[in-house]
Amino acid sequence: MRPLLAVTLAALGLGLAATAVSTSGDPGFAPVRLGPWTSWPQLGGAEIDPYERASVAMDGVAPIGLNEGLSFLARADDLGAPLDSRCDYQIAGSDLPARLWTLAAYSEGGRPLDNPAGRSGLTSAGLLRAEGGDFVIDAAREARPGNWLPLGSARSFVLALRLYQASTSALSSAYDGLSLPKITRGSCS
Amino acid sequence: MSAPSDRFDRMVGLIPWALAVAFGAVATHLLSVLALPALAPNSAYRRLAADLPLGEVRLLPRATPDHPGPTFSDPFAFLAVCRFDLTLGPLRLRANADGDHPLSVSVRLANGAIVWSGSDGQTPGGHFNILIVTRSQADAIDAAREDQDETATDGDELRLVAPRPKGFALFRLLALREGEAETVAAQRAGFECATEKPPQ
Repeated sequence: MRPLLAVTLAALGLGLAATAVSTSGDPGFAPVRLGPWTSWPQLGGAEIDPYERASVAMDGVAPIGLNEGLSFLARADDLGAPLDSRCDYQIAGSDLPARLWTLAAYSEGGRPLDNPAGRSGLTSAGLLRAEGGDFVIDAAREARPGNWLPLGSARSFVLALRLYQASTSALSSAYDGLSLPKITRGSCS
Repeated sequence: MSAPSDRFDRMVGLIPWALAVAFGAVATHLLSVLALPALAPNSAYRRLAADLPLGEVRLLPRATPDHPGPTFSDPFAFLAVCRFDLTLGPLRLRANADGDHPLSVSVRLANGAIVWSGSDGQTPGGHFNILIVTRSQADAIDAAREDQDETATDGDELRLVAPRPKGFALFRLLALREGEAETVAAQRAGFECATEKPPQ
């Protein structure tokens, strides 16, 4: 009887541990990486696999549907250094192929960043641009003139970029031609 | 000579138990992965729709640090949710875009899979008129229309056959800038979800 109990407990423990490991971390197996930005387009479609479905359920995410737009997360700058709110960042790019795009800063757990300015994002509609449509966004704790994305007191943060009604499809190779903003670290306090 | 032989016999004797552990672990792992979407307390369905009366549209506040909504919610997105249970009848969903603020709709199963999504730029006049049905309901509707010699459906109706009967629809209306809550409130008030009488 005792060996049977030991086998059962060992099987349960190993199986549940494997589930915990496989559903933690990134939500999908086939990420699309463009510089520091990562997307998991299959999360927005009916073909999502059981592991991704479990991971999305555990994380409490409601992903954007394939025909709603594209969604990207960045946890590091262009050189691969983790985003740190003690540093200033410049997020620079040219206009993105979407009807509207938004950029927002989050805690590691996915909450909009708490900050004294009371806002945690920007949209393409409210952005100041150069003549050719290029833009520069300053992400920093202290206020900046121009396009300022306030950062909070939490040390690490995550950036989310969403392209709504994007003219590129998540399922096509058009991803290859998509140029997303560069994230460049400035000075750190 | 007998000690190594005993050790070998003991090792061989452990093989069935090791196989039982491996088989049981794989089975536990697969079953738990499949069960997680239904059991996860934090899933979008559980948090947004599980307790929602059928036919009611719940308007969610935009994501803030105090009310973050689903993980990584866009702070410029105003979400609205309605739950469906097709065992009680098809769900009719209507929404109109104002042309300025992007509006999209997605139909999701309780397990989190998105069976359909679309935006106002893809619908005629930015008008959503979606009927969510099961396969048998779709067949019954077609048979009824054939009997009545009706070939045309509701002009702009999009009929979706859901592979499972339970889920929710998510409306996503986007603010263009900060402070547009009142501007989008009127549009959100026009979102409709209604359970229709099951076709005979």
